[in-house]
Amino acid sequence: MTALAYETYHLGLRTTRRFLRVPANWMSIIFFPLIQLLIFSQLYQDVVQLRGFGGESDYLDYLAPGQVAFAAFMAVAWSAYGLLVEFRNGYMDKLRAAPIRRWSILAGEMVPLFFQAAAMAGVVLIVSLLLGAPLETGVGGFALILILAGVFGIAFAGASFIPALLTKSEQATNAFSLLLFPIVFMSTAFVPEALMPGWMQTVNDWNPITFLIEAIRDLMASGYDWGAIGKALLSLGILGVILQAVTLWAFHRLAR
Amino acid sequence: MIRDEQAIIEVRDLVKVYGADTRALDGITFSVAPGEVFGFLGPNGAGKTTTIRILATLMLATEGSARVAGFDVSGDPHEVRKRLGVAMQTPTLDAFSTGRETLELAGRLHRMPGPEVRRRAGELLELMGLESVAGKLTGAYSGGMKRRLDLASALMHRPQVLILDEPTEGLDPQSRTALWEELERISAAGTTMLLTTHYMEEADRLSSRLAIIDEGRIAVEGAPAELKRGVGADAVLLQFESPDGDGQLAEVRRLLEGLVAPDAVDRHPAGVALAVPNAGSAIPELLRRLEGDGLCIAGLQMSQPSLDDVFMKYTGRRIREEAADQPIILGS
Repeated sequence: MTALAYETYHLGLRTTRRFLRVPANWMSIIFFPLIQLLIFSQLYQDVVQLRGFGGESDYLDYLAPGQVAFAAFMAVAWSAYGLLVEFRNGYMDKLRAAPIRRWSILAGEMVPLFFQAAAMAGVVLIVSLLLGAPLETGVGGFALILILAGVFGIAFAGASFIPALLTKSEQATNAFSLLLFPIVFMSTAFVPEALMPGWMQTVNDWNPITFLIEAIRDLMASGYDWGAIGKALLSLGILGVILQAVTLWAFHRLAR
Repeated sequence: MIRDEQAIIEVRDLVKVYGADTRALDGITFSVAPGEVFGFLGPNGAGKTTTIRILATLMLATEGSARVAGFDVSGDPHEVRKRLGVAMQTPTLDAFSTGRETLELAGRLHRMPGPEVRRRAGELLELMGLESVAGKLTGAYSGGMKRRLDLASALMHRPQVLILDEPTEGLDPQSRTALWEELERISAAGTTMLLTTHYMEEADRLSSRLAIIDEGRIAVEGAPAELKRGVGADAVLLQFESPDGDGQLAEVRRLLEGLVAPDAVDRHPAGVALAVPNAGSAIPELLRRLEGDGLCIAGLQMSQPSLDDVFMKYTGRRIREEAADQPIILGS
Protein backbone atom coordinates (compact mmCIF):
# COMPACT_ATOMS: atom_id res chain seq x y z
CA MET A 1 0.00 0.00 0.00
CA THR A 2 2.82 2.43 0.85
CA ALA A 3 4.57 1.26 -2.31
CA LEU A 4 1.44 2.02 -4.32
CA ALA A 5 1.16 5.47 -2.74
CA TYR A 6 4.87 6.25 -3.26
CA GLU A 7 4.82 5.17 -6.89
CA THR A 8 1.51 6.86 -7.65
CA TYR A 9 2.82 10.09 -6.13
CA HIS A 10 5.96 10.17 -8.28
CA LEU A 11 4.19 9.00 -11.45
CA GLY A 12 1.31 11.36 -10.73
CA LEU A 13 3.69 14.32 -10.46
CA ARG A 14 4.90 13.53 -13.94
CA THR A 15 1.46 13.09 -15.52
CA THR A 16 0.15 16.22 -13.80
CA ARG A 17 3.13 18.22 -15.10
CA ARG A 18 2.52 16.72 -18.53
CA PHE A 19 -1.10 17.82 -18.36
CA LEU A 20 -0.30 21.35 -17.20
CA ARG A 21 2.43 21.82 -19.83
CA VAL A 22 0.01 21.39 -22.73
CA PRO A 23 -1.73 24.76 -23.22
CA ALA A 24 -4.67 23.15 -25.05
CA ASN A 25 -5.61 21.34 -21.84
CA TRP A 26 -6.36 24.66 -20.18
CA MET A 27 -8.79 25.42 -22.98
CA SER A 28 -10.62 22.16 -22.42
CA ILE A 29 -10.79 22.80 -18.68
CA ILE A 30 -12.11 26.35 -18.89
CA PHE A 31 -14.00 26.88 -22.10
CA PHE A 32 -15.66 23.61 -22.86
CA PRO A 33 -17.78 23.29 -19.69
CA LEU A 34 -18.56 26.99 -19.88
CA ILE A 35 -19.92 26.89 -23.40
CA GLN A 36 -21.86 23.75 -22.55
CA LEU A 37 -23.49 25.37 -19.51
CA LEU A 38 -24.38 28.62 -21.26
CA ILE A 39 -25.84 26.94 -24.32
CA PHE A 40 -27.95 24.41 -22.46
CA SER A 41 -29.28 26.90 -19.93
CA GLN A 42 -30.33 29.29 -22.71
CA LEU A 43 -31.59 26.68 -25.15
CA TYR A 44 -33.84 24.92 -22.69
CA GLN A 45 -34.79 27.80 -20.41
CA ASP A 46 -38.51 27.28 -20.94
CA VAL A 47 -38.61 23.57 -20.07
CA VAL A 48 -39.05 24.41 -16.40
CA GLN A 49 -42.65 25.24 -17.23
CA LEU A 50 -43.28 21.51 -17.70
CA ARG A 51 -45.16 19.85 -14.81
CA GLY A 52 -42.36 17.42 -13.82
CA PHE A 53 -40.11 20.23 -12.65
CA GLY A 54 -42.40 20.80 -9.69
CA GLY A 55 -42.49 24.55 -9.50
CA GLU A 56 -38.81 25.29 -10.19
CA SER A 57 -38.67 28.81 -11.61
CA ASP A 58 -35.24 28.97 -13.21
CA TYR A 59 -33.94 26.15 -15.43
CA LEU A 60 -30.35 27.13 -14.57
CA ASP A 61 -30.97 26.18 -10.95
CA TYR A 62 -32.09 22.74 -12.09
CA LEU A 63 -29.42 22.36 -14.77
CA ALA A 64 -26.33 23.46 -12.80
CA PRO A 65 -25.80 20.27 -10.69
CA GLY A 66 -26.20 18.09 -13.80
CA GLN A 67 -23.74 20.25 -15.72
CA VAL A 68 -21.21 20.01 -12.90
CA ALA A 69 -21.41 16.22 -13.20
CA PHE A 70 -21.41 16.44 -17.01
CA ALA A 71 -18.16 18.40 -16.85
CA ALA A 72 -16.55 15.61 -14.80
CA PHE A 73 -17.90 13.12 -17.34
CA MET A 74 -16.32 15.13 -20.17
CA ALA A 75 -12.98 15.08 -18.36
CA VAL A 76 -13.04 11.27 -18.48
CA ALA A 77 -13.86 11.13 -22.19
CA TRP A 78 -10.32 11.96 -23.39
CA SER A 79 -8.41 10.87 -20.32
CA ALA A 80 -6.68 7.82 -21.78
CA TYR A 81 -5.20 9.90 -24.59
CA GLY A 82 -1.92 10.41 -22.72
CA LEU A 83 -1.68 6.68 -22.10
CA LEU A 84 -2.17 5.95 -25.79
CA VAL A 85 0.45 8.48 -26.86
CA GLU A 86 2.93 6.97 -24.42
CA PHE A 87 2.02 3.46 -25.44
CA ARG A 88 2.83 4.37 -29.02
CA ASN A 89 6.07 6.25 -28.39
CA GLY A 90 7.29 3.46 -26.14
CA TYR A 91 7.37 5.38 -22.86
CA MET A 92 4.86 2.89 -21.48
CA ASP A 93 7.49 0.18 -22.05
CA LYS A 94 9.89 2.11 -19.89
CA LEU A 95 7.37 2.23 -17.06
CA ARG A 96 6.47 -1.42 -17.55
CA ALA A 97 10.14 -2.39 -17.32
CA ALA A 98 10.50 -0.51 -14.01
CA PRO A 99 10.21 -2.39 -10.70
CA ILE A 100 6.82 -0.91 -9.82
CA ARG A 101 3.30 -2.22 -9.38
CA ARG A 102 1.25 -2.38 -12.56
CA TRP A 103 -1.61 -0.63 -10.84
CA SER A 104 0.68 2.28 -9.89
CA ILE A 105 1.30 2.93 -13.59
CA LEU A 106 -2.45 3.20 -14.18
CA ALA A 107 -3.04 5.17 -11.01
CA GLY A 108 -0.28 7.58 -12.05
CA GLU A 109 -2.01 8.08 -15.38
CA MET A 110 -5.28 8.82 -13.58
CA VAL A 111 -3.96 11.40 -11.11
CA PRO A 112 -4.40 14.36 -13.48
CA LEU A 113 -7.88 13.07 -14.24
CA PHE A 114 -8.89 13.65 -10.62
CA PHE A 115 -7.74 17.26 -10.80
CA GLN A 116 -9.12 17.80 -14.29
CA ALA A 117 -12.58 16.49 -13.38
CA ALA A 118 -12.59 18.62 -10.21
CA ALA A 119 -11.36 21.70 -12.09
CA MET A 120 -13.91 21.37 -14.89
CA ALA A 121 -16.69 20.86 -12.36
CA GLY A 122 -15.37 23.88 -10.46
CA VAL A 123 -15.54 26.11 -13.54
CA VAL A 124 -19.16 25.16 -14.18
CA LEU A 125 -20.00 25.62 -10.52
CA ILE A 126 -18.45 29.09 -10.29
CA VAL A 127 -20.15 30.29 -13.47
CA SER A 128 -23.47 28.87 -12.30
CA LEU A 129 -23.12 30.78 -9.06
CA LEU A 130 -22.30 33.96 -10.95
CA LEU A 131 -25.43 33.43 -13.04
CA GLY A 132 -27.48 33.15 -9.86
CA ALA A 133 -27.63 29.46 -8.97
CA PRO A 134 -27.78 28.83 -5.20
CA LEU A 135 -25.15 27.07 -3.07
CA GLU A 136 -26.68 26.57 0.34
CA THR A 137 -23.69 24.73 1.83
CA GLY A 138 -21.16 27.45 1.03
CA VAL A 139 -17.41 26.85 0.88
CA GLY A 140 -17.60 23.42 2.51
CA GLY A 141 -20.18 22.28 -0.04
CA PHE A 142 -18.09 23.76 -2.85
CA ALA A 143 -15.07 21.71 -1.78
CA LEU A 144 -17.16 18.58 -1.35
CA ILE A 145 -18.66 18.95 -4.84
CA LEU A 146 -15.18 19.22 -6.37
CA ILE A 147 -14.05 16.13 -4.46
CA LEU A 148 -17.13 14.21 -5.64
CA ALA A 149 -16.38 15.27 -9.22
CA GLY A 150 -12.75 14.12 -8.85
CA VAL A 151 -13.81 10.80 -7.33
CA PHE A 152 -16.23 10.32 -10.20
CA GLY A 153 -13.36 10.93 -12.64
CA ILE A 154 -11.26 8.15 -11.09
CA ALA A 155 -14.22 5.78 -10.68
CA PHE A 156 -15.29 6.26 -14.28
CA ALA A 157 -11.73 6.38 -15.75
CA GLY A 158 -12.03 2.80 -16.99
CA ALA A 159 -14.64 3.97 -19.51
CA SER A 160 -11.79 5.58 -21.41
CA PHE A 161 -8.84 3.43 -20.30
CA ILE A 162 -10.38 0.03 -21.03
CA PRO A 163 -11.18 0.68 -24.71
CA ALA A 164 -7.82 2.45 -25.05
CA LEU A 165 -5.87 -0.53 -23.67
CA LEU A 166 -7.90 -3.08 -25.61
CA THR A 167 -7.86 -1.32 -28.98
CA LYS A 168 -4.71 0.85 -28.69
CA SER A 169 -6.47 3.23 -31.04
CA GLU A 170 -7.42 6.86 -30.41
CA GLN A 171 -10.26 6.64 -32.91
CA ALA A 172 -11.82 3.60 -31.29
CA THR A 173 -11.44 5.14 -27.83
CA ASN A 174 -13.10 8.37 -28.95
CA ALA A 175 -15.88 6.45 -30.66
CA PHE A 176 -16.49 4.49 -27.49
CA SER A 177 -16.66 7.69 -25.42
CA LEU A 178 -19.41 8.94 -27.71
CA LEU A 179 -21.37 5.77 -27.02
CA LEU A 180 -21.32 6.65 -23.34
CA PHE A 181 -23.00 10.03 -23.74
CA PRO A 182 -26.51 8.56 -23.50
CA ILE A 183 -25.66 7.61 -19.89
CA VAL A 184 -25.65 11.33 -19.09
CA PHE A 185 -28.82 11.98 -21.05
CA MET A 186 -30.53 9.09 -19.25
CA SER A 187 -29.78 10.67 -15.89
CA THR A 188 -31.46 13.54 -14.08
CA ALA A 189 -28.94 15.98 -15.60
CA PHE A 190 -31.44 17.65 -17.92
CA VAL A 191 -34.89 16.63 -16.74
CA PRO A 192 -36.33 15.14 -13.53
CA GLU A 193 -37.15 11.45 -13.43
CA ALA A 194 -40.88 12.19 -13.56
CA LEU A 195 -40.53 13.37 -17.17
CA MET A 196 -38.76 10.21 -18.36
CA PRO A 197 -40.47 7.26 -20.06
CA GLY A 198 -40.82 4.21 -17.83
CA TRP A 199 -37.87 2.18 -19.13
CA MET A 200 -35.58 5.16 -18.80
CA GLN A 201 -36.68 5.65 -15.22
CA THR A 202 -35.43 2.11 -14.56
CA VAL A 203 -32.05 2.96 -16.12
CA ASN A 204 -31.97 6.16 -14.14
CA ASP A 205 -32.57 4.33 -10.85
CA TRP A 206 -29.29 2.46 -11.38
CA ASN A 207 -27.32 5.27 -13.03
CA PRO A 208 -24.28 6.27 -10.92
CA ILE A 209 -24.31 9.69 -12.59
CA THR A 210 -27.80 10.31 -11.23
CA PHE A 211 -26.58 9.50 -7.69
CA LEU A 212 -23.74 11.98 -8.21
CA ILE A 213 -26.06 14.65 -9.61
CA GLU A 214 -28.59 14.27 -6.81
CA ALA A 215 -25.87 14.57 -4.15
CA ILE A 216 -24.63 17.76 -5.82
CA ARG A 217 -28.19 19.04 -6.26
CA ASP A 218 -28.82 18.69 -2.52
CA LEU A 219 -25.54 20.38 -1.65
CA MET A 220 -26.48 23.31 -3.88
CA ALA A 221 -30.19 23.66 -3.22
CA SER A 222 -30.76 22.53 0.38
CA GLY A 223 -27.87 21.36 2.56
CA TYR A 224 -25.71 18.39 3.55
CA ASP A 225 -27.79 15.32 2.75
CA TRP A 226 -25.42 12.60 3.94
CA GLY A 227 -27.78 9.91 2.69
CA ALA A 228 -27.49 11.22 -0.88
CA ILE A 229 -23.74 11.79 -0.55
CA GLY A 230 -23.29 8.28 0.85
CA LYS A 231 -25.31 6.77 -2.01
CA ALA A 232 -23.21 8.70 -4.54
CA LEU A 233 -19.93 7.54 -2.97
CA LEU A 234 -21.15 3.94 -2.67
CA SER A 235 -22.29 3.76 -6.31
CA LEU A 236 -19.05 5.40 -7.49
CA GLY A 237 -17.09 3.00 -5.28
CA ILE A 238 -18.75 -0.07 -6.79
CA LEU A 239 -18.38 1.32 -10.32
CA GLY A 240 -14.76 2.21 -9.59
CA VAL A 241 -13.76 -1.21 -8.26
CA ILE A 242 -15.28 -2.98 -11.26
CA LEU A 243 -13.82 -0.63 -13.87
CA GLN A 244 -10.38 -0.48 -12.22
CA ALA A 245 -10.22 -4.28 -12.06
CA VAL A 246 -11.07 -4.58 -15.75
CA THR A 247 -8.57 -1.81 -16.57
CA LEU A 248 -5.82 -3.65 -14.71
CA TRP A 249 -6.71 -6.86 -16.54
CA ALA A 250 -6.53 -5.01 -19.88
CA PHE A 251 -3.16 -3.55 -18.85
CA HIS A 252 -1.73 -6.99 -18.09
CA ARG A 253 -2.82 -8.12 -21.55
CA LEU A 254 -0.15 -5.84 -23.03
CA ALA A 255 2.45 -8.50 -22.14
CA ARG A 256 0.95 -11.02 -24.56
CA MET B 1 17.71 -29.02 -17.58
CA ILE B 2 21.22 -28.00 -16.57
CA ARG B 3 21.56 -24.43 -15.35
CA ASP B 4 24.70 -22.49 -15.90
CA GLU B 5 25.27 -20.95 -12.47
CA GLN B 6 27.83 -18.51 -13.82
CA ALA B 7 25.53 -16.97 -16.42
CA ILE B 8 23.86 -13.63 -15.70
CA ILE B 9 21.53 -14.00 -18.66
CA GLU B 10 20.37 -17.47 -19.49
CA VAL B 11 17.94 -18.14 -22.29
CA ARG B 12 16.70 -21.63 -23.15
CA ASP B 13 14.62 -22.74 -26.12
CA LEU B 14 12.74 -19.48 -26.32
CA VAL B 15 9.77 -19.57 -28.69
CA LYS B 16 7.41 -16.70 -29.43
CA VAL B 17 4.40 -17.17 -31.64
CA TYR B 18 2.31 -14.14 -32.57
CA GLY B 19 -1.27 -14.74 -33.51
CA ALA B 20 -1.90 -18.10 -35.16
CA ASP B 21 1.26 -18.80 -37.09
CA THR B 22 3.88 -16.04 -36.95
CA ARG B 23 6.87 -17.70 -35.33
CA ALA B 24 9.04 -14.72 -34.33
CA LEU B 25 11.36 -16.87 -32.20
CA ASP B 26 11.92 -20.47 -33.10
CA GLY B 27 13.98 -21.83 -30.21
CA ILE B 28 16.67 -19.39 -29.05
CA THR B 29 19.27 -20.58 -26.56
CA PHE B 30 22.24 -18.58 -25.31
CA SER B 31 23.86 -17.43 -22.11
CA VAL B 32 25.87 -14.38 -21.15
CA ALA B 33 28.56 -14.31 -18.48
CA PRO B 34 28.84 -11.41 -16.01
CA GLY B 35 30.76 -8.46 -17.47
CA GLU B 36 30.41 -9.68 -21.04
CA VAL B 37 29.13 -7.59 -23.94
CA PHE B 38 26.93 -9.92 -25.93
CA GLY B 39 25.84 -8.79 -29.36
CA PHE B 40 22.81 -9.88 -31.32
CA LEU B 41 23.42 -9.32 -35.00
CA GLY B 42 20.75 -9.85 -37.59
CA PRO B 43 18.53 -8.18 -40.14
CA ASN B 44 15.32 -6.41 -39.14
CA GLY B 45 12.61 -8.89 -38.29
CA ALA B 46 15.09 -11.61 -37.27
CA GLY B 47 13.74 -11.80 -33.72
CA LYS B 48 16.22 -9.57 -31.89
CA THR B 49 13.67 -7.15 -30.48
CA THR B 50 11.29 -9.95 -29.52
CA THR B 51 14.05 -11.62 -27.50
CA ILE B 52 14.89 -8.34 -25.81
CA ARG B 53 11.27 -7.60 -24.96
CA ILE B 54 10.93 -10.99 -23.31
CA LEU B 55 14.12 -10.43 -21.31
CA ALA B 56 12.93 -6.96 -20.29
CA THR B 57 9.71 -8.53 -18.91
CA LEU B 58 7.64 -6.60 -21.46
CA MET B 59 6.35 -9.69 -23.21
CA LEU B 60 5.71 -13.31 -22.31
CA ALA B 61 7.38 -16.12 -24.24
CA THR B 62 5.18 -18.80 -25.78
CA GLU B 63 7.64 -21.52 -24.74
CA GLY B 64 11.05 -21.78 -23.12
CA SER B 65 12.62 -19.94 -20.22
CA ALA B 66 14.76 -16.88 -19.61
CA ARG B 67 16.59 -15.89 -16.43
CA VAL B 68 18.26 -12.58 -15.71
CA ALA B 69 20.57 -12.19 -12.70
CA GLY B 70 19.21 -15.45 -11.31
CA PHE B 71 15.50 -14.64 -11.60
CA ASP B 72 12.97 -16.00 -14.05
CA VAL B 73 11.53 -13.26 -16.27
CA SER B 74 8.00 -14.61 -16.11
CA GLY B 75 8.02 -16.00 -12.56
CA ASP B 76 9.85 -13.16 -10.83
CA PRO B 77 9.59 -10.13 -13.11
CA HIS B 78 9.83 -7.62 -10.25
CA GLU B 79 13.27 -8.91 -9.18
CA VAL B 80 14.44 -8.90 -12.81
CA ARG B 81 13.25 -5.30 -13.27
CA LYS B 82 15.25 -4.15 -10.25
CA ARG B 83 18.49 -5.39 -11.79
CA LEU B 84 17.92 -4.42 -15.39
CA GLY B 85 18.44 -1.24 -17.38
CA VAL B 86 16.73 -1.12 -20.75
CA ALA B 87 17.04 1.30 -23.66
CA MET B 88 14.77 0.56 -26.56
CA GLN B 89 15.29 1.05 -30.27
CA THR B 90 13.69 4.47 -30.38
CA PRO B 91 14.34 6.59 -27.29
CA THR B 92 11.32 6.31 -25.05
CA LEU B 93 10.99 9.66 -23.36
CA ASP B 94 8.18 11.77 -22.00
CA ALA B 95 8.27 14.82 -24.28
CA PHE B 96 6.82 16.98 -21.49
CA SER B 97 9.47 16.15 -18.89
CA THR B 98 12.85 17.85 -18.71
CA GLY B 99 16.04 15.82 -18.92
CA ARG B 100 16.62 16.15 -15.20
CA GLU B 101 13.03 15.20 -14.32
CA THR B 102 13.35 12.12 -16.55
CA LEU B 103 16.42 10.87 -14.70
CA GLU B 104 15.09 11.74 -11.27
CA LEU B 105 11.87 9.82 -11.89
CA ALA B 106 13.86 6.79 -13.07
CA GLY B 107 15.87 6.93 -9.83
CA ARG B 108 12.74 7.32 -7.69
CA LEU B 109 11.04 4.36 -9.32
CA HIS B 110 14.11 2.31 -8.40
CA ARG B 111 13.74 3.45 -4.80
CA MET B 112 16.93 5.51 -4.69
CA PRO B 113 16.92 8.00 -1.81
CA GLY B 114 16.43 11.70 -2.64
CA PRO B 115 20.01 13.02 -2.27
CA GLU B 116 21.39 10.03 -4.18
CA VAL B 117 18.83 10.61 -6.96
CA ARG B 118 19.91 14.23 -7.36
CA ARG B 119 23.62 13.43 -7.20
CA ARG B 120 23.41 10.56 -9.70
CA ALA B 121 21.19 12.55 -12.10
CA GLY B 122 23.71 15.42 -12.05
CA GLU B 123 26.59 13.02 -12.60
CA LEU B 124 24.93 11.32 -15.59
CA LEU B 125 23.85 14.62 -17.16
CA GLU B 126 27.47 15.74 -17.01
CA LEU B 127 28.77 12.40 -18.30
CA MET B 128 26.40 12.49 -21.28
CA GLY B 129 27.07 16.16 -22.00
CA LEU B 130 23.48 17.14 -21.32
CA GLU B 131 23.99 19.65 -18.51
CA SER B 132 23.15 22.65 -20.66
CA VAL B 133 19.78 21.17 -21.68
CA ALA B 134 18.95 19.48 -18.37
CA GLY B 135 16.12 21.95 -17.71
CA LYS B 136 14.62 21.79 -21.21
CA LEU B 137 11.73 19.53 -22.21
CA THR B 138 12.99 16.39 -23.95
CA GLY B 139 10.56 17.03 -26.80
CA ALA B 140 12.99 19.73 -27.94
CA TYR B 141 16.08 17.47 -27.85
CA SER B 142 17.98 16.35 -30.95
CA GLY B 143 18.09 12.65 -31.83
CA GLY B 144 21.54 12.21 -30.32
CA MET B 145 20.56 14.00 -27.11
CA LYS B 146 17.48 11.80 -26.76
CA ARG B 147 19.62 8.68 -27.16
CA ARG B 148 22.08 9.83 -24.52
CA LEU B 149 19.33 10.78 -22.09
CA ASP B 150 17.58 7.46 -22.65
CA LEU B 151 20.82 5.64 -21.96
CA ALA B 152 21.41 7.76 -18.85
CA SER B 153 17.92 6.92 -17.62
CA ALA B 154 18.66 3.20 -18.06
CA LEU B 155 21.89 3.68 -16.07
CA MET B 156 20.41 5.68 -13.16
CA HIS B 157 20.12 2.75 -10.74
CA ARG B 158 23.47 1.22 -11.78
CA PRO B 159 21.87 -1.92 -13.26
CA GLN B 160 23.71 -5.22 -13.20
CA VAL B 161 22.58 -5.87 -16.75
CA LEU B 162 22.06 -3.32 -19.48
CA ILE B 163 19.92 -4.24 -22.47
CA LEU B 164 20.20 -2.03 -25.53
CA ASP B 165 18.06 -2.46 -28.61
CA GLU B 166 19.76 -0.95 -31.66
CA PRO B 167 21.53 1.68 -29.55
CA THR B 168 22.81 3.78 -32.44
CA GLU B 169 20.01 3.34 -34.98
CA GLY B 170 19.35 6.59 -36.77
CA LEU B 171 22.37 8.46 -35.37
CA ASP B 172 24.85 10.36 -37.49
CA PRO B 173 28.35 8.81 -37.66
CA GLN B 174 29.81 11.28 -35.16
CA SER B 175 27.16 10.66 -32.50
CA ARG B 176 27.47 6.95 -33.16
CA THR B 177 31.19 6.92 -32.46
CA ALA B 178 30.68 9.01 -29.32
CA LEU B 179 28.02 6.61 -28.06
CA TRP B 180 30.28 3.62 -28.78
CA GLU B 181 32.98 5.19 -26.65
CA GLU B 182 30.45 5.73 -23.89
CA LEU B 183 29.27 2.12 -24.06
CA GLU B 184 32.87 0.94 -23.92
CA ARG B 185 33.38 2.94 -20.73
CA ILE B 186 30.22 1.46 -19.18
CA SER B 187 31.35 -2.02 -20.11
CA ALA B 188 34.82 -1.39 -18.69
CA ALA B 189 33.15 -0.52 -15.38
CA GLY B 190 31.85 -4.08 -15.23
CA THR B 191 28.26 -3.81 -16.46
CA THR B 192 27.02 -6.79 -18.46
CA MET B 193 25.51 -5.71 -21.74
CA LEU B 194 23.24 -7.31 -24.25
CA LEU B 195 22.88 -5.30 -27.40
CA THR B 196 21.17 -5.87 -30.69
CA THR B 197 22.31 -4.31 -33.90
CA HIS B 198 22.16 -4.73 -37.61
CA TYR B 199 25.36 -2.78 -38.07
CA MET B 200 28.31 -5.10 -38.61
CA GLU B 201 30.79 -2.49 -37.48
CA GLU B 202 28.95 -1.97 -34.22
CA ALA B 203 28.74 -5.67 -33.41
CA ASP B 204 32.41 -6.05 -34.28
CA ARG B 205 33.60 -3.14 -32.19
CA LEU B 206 31.50 -3.54 -29.05
CA SER B 207 30.75 -7.17 -28.49
CA SER B 208 33.08 -9.69 -26.90
CA ARG B 209 30.78 -12.43 -28.12
CA LEU B 210 27.92 -12.35 -30.56
CA ALA B 211 25.14 -14.44 -31.96
CA ILE B 212 23.99 -14.12 -35.53
CA ILE B 213 20.24 -14.40 -35.51
CA ASP B 214 18.12 -15.00 -38.55
CA GLU B 215 14.46 -15.96 -38.89
CA GLY B 216 14.02 -16.55 -35.18
CA ARG B 217 17.03 -18.81 -34.76
CA ILE B 218 20.65 -18.39 -33.77
CA ALA B 219 22.66 -19.28 -36.85
CA VAL B 220 26.05 -19.15 -35.13
CA GLU B 221 27.58 -17.82 -31.94
CA GLY B 222 31.12 -16.86 -30.95
CA ALA B 223 33.68 -14.08 -30.56
CA PRO B 224 33.74 -11.80 -33.62
CA ALA B 225 37.33 -12.70 -34.50
CA GLU B 226 36.62 -16.39 -34.05
CA LEU B 227 33.56 -16.19 -36.30
CA LYS B 228 35.54 -14.40 -38.95
CA ARG B 229 38.26 -17.02 -38.78
CA GLY B 230 35.53 -19.61 -39.26
CA VAL B 231 34.83 -18.13 -42.67
CA GLY B 232 38.31 -19.29 -43.65
CA ALA B 233 40.89 -17.38 -45.57
CA ASP B 234 41.79 -13.73 -45.72
CA ALA B 235 41.93 -12.14 -49.14
CA VAL B 236 45.32 -11.00 -50.51
CA LEU B 237 45.49 -9.01 -53.72
CA LEU B 238 48.78 -8.71 -55.62
CA GLN B 239 49.19 -5.84 -58.06
CA PHE B 240 51.92 -5.68 -60.66
CA GLU B 241 53.71 -2.79 -62.37
CA SER B 242 52.77 -4.14 -65.80
CA PRO B 243 49.97 -6.64 -65.57
CA ASP B 244 50.08 -9.33 -68.28
CA GLY B 245 47.32 -11.57 -66.97
CA ASP B 246 47.76 -15.30 -67.35
CA GLY B 247 51.57 -15.31 -67.38
CA GLN B 248 51.79 -13.72 -63.95
CA LEU B 249 48.98 -15.94 -62.66
CA ALA B 250 50.91 -19.09 -63.65
CA GLU B 251 54.13 -17.66 -62.29
CA VAL B 252 52.55 -16.86 -58.89
CA ARG B 253 51.05 -20.35 -58.75
CA ARG B 254 54.47 -21.87 -59.46
CA LEU B 255 56.33 -19.74 -56.91
CA LEU B 256 53.82 -20.33 -54.14
CA GLU B 257 53.57 -24.07 -54.66
CA GLY B 258 53.31 -25.80 -51.32
CA LEU B 259 52.37 -22.59 -49.55
CA VAL B 260 49.13 -21.66 -51.30
CA ALA B 261 47.02 -24.21 -53.17
CA PRO B 262 46.82 -23.51 -56.95
CA ASP B 263 43.01 -23.14 -56.86
CA ALA B 264 43.34 -20.46 -54.16
CA VAL B 265 45.21 -18.27 -56.65
CA ASP B 266 42.90 -16.54 -59.06
CA ARG B 267 42.67 -13.87 -61.70
CA HIS B 268 41.47 -10.47 -60.48
CA PRO B 269 40.76 -7.30 -62.52
CA ALA B 270 43.56 -5.54 -60.63
CA GLY B 271 46.07 -8.39 -60.59
CA VAL B 272 46.11 -11.74 -58.85
CA ALA B 273 43.95 -12.65 -55.85
CA LEU B 274 44.99 -15.17 -53.22
CA ALA B 275 42.92 -16.76 -50.50
CA VAL B 276 45.31 -17.27 -47.59
CA PRO B 277 44.39 -18.47 -44.12
CA ASN B 278 45.99 -16.25 -41.49
CA ALA B 279 47.39 -13.88 -44.08
CA GLY B 280 49.02 -11.72 -41.43
CA SER B 281 51.60 -14.36 -40.56
CA ALA B 282 51.88 -15.81 -44.05
CA ILE B 283 52.82 -12.58 -45.77
CA PRO B 284 56.59 -12.47 -45.00
CA GLU B 285 57.08 -15.92 -46.50
CA LEU B 286 54.78 -14.99 -49.38
CA LEU B 287 56.84 -11.91 -50.22
CA ARG B 288 60.14 -13.76 -49.86
CA ARG B 289 59.04 -16.28 -52.46
CA LEU B 290 57.64 -13.75 -54.90
CA GLU B 291 60.63 -11.43 -54.63
CA GLY B 292 63.20 -10.98 -57.32
CA ASP B 293 61.69 -13.22 -59.97
CA GLY B 294 60.78 -10.52 -62.42
CA LEU B 295 57.24 -10.20 -61.18
CA CYS B 296 57.69 -6.56 -60.15
CA ILE B 297 55.02 -6.36 -57.48
CA ALA B 298 53.66 -2.84 -57.26
CA GLY B 299 51.27 -3.33 -54.38
CA LEU B 300 49.69 -5.75 -51.98
CA GLN B 301 46.30 -5.48 -50.33
CA MET B 302 45.13 -7.66 -47.55
CA SER B 303 41.57 -7.84 -46.23
CA GLN B 304 40.09 -9.91 -43.45
CA PRO B 305 36.65 -11.42 -43.76
CA SER B 306 33.91 -9.22 -42.36
CA LEU B 307 30.97 -10.19 -40.19
CA ASP B 308 28.99 -9.76 -43.36
CA ASP B 309 30.95 -12.70 -44.78
CA VAL B 310 30.12 -14.62 -41.61
CA PHE B 311 26.45 -13.78 -42.03
CA MET B 312 26.66 -14.85 -45.66
CA LYS B 313 28.26 -18.14 -44.75
CA TYR B 314 25.60 -19.09 -42.20
CA THR B 315 22.45 -17.71 -43.77
CA GLY B 316 23.30 -17.64 -47.46
CA ARG B 317 22.35 -13.98 -47.66
CA ARG B 318 24.01 -10.61 -47.14
CA ILE B 319 22.81 -8.67 -44.14
CA ARG B 320 23.37 -5.34 -45.87
CA GLU B 321 20.88 -5.97 -48.63
CA GLU B 322 18.13 -6.32 -46.08
CA ALA B 323 19.24 -3.87 -43.47
CA ALA B 324 20.36 -0.95 -45.58
CA ASP B 325 18.16 2.06 -45.98
CA GLN B 326 15.38 0.83 -43.79
CA PRO B 327 13.26 3.83 -42.92
CA ILE B 328 13.62 4.80 -39.29
CA ILE B 329 10.26 4.77 -37.62
CA LEU B 330 10.09 7.48 -35.02
CA GLY B 331 7.50 7.37 -32.29
CA SER B 332 4.62 9.73 -32.92
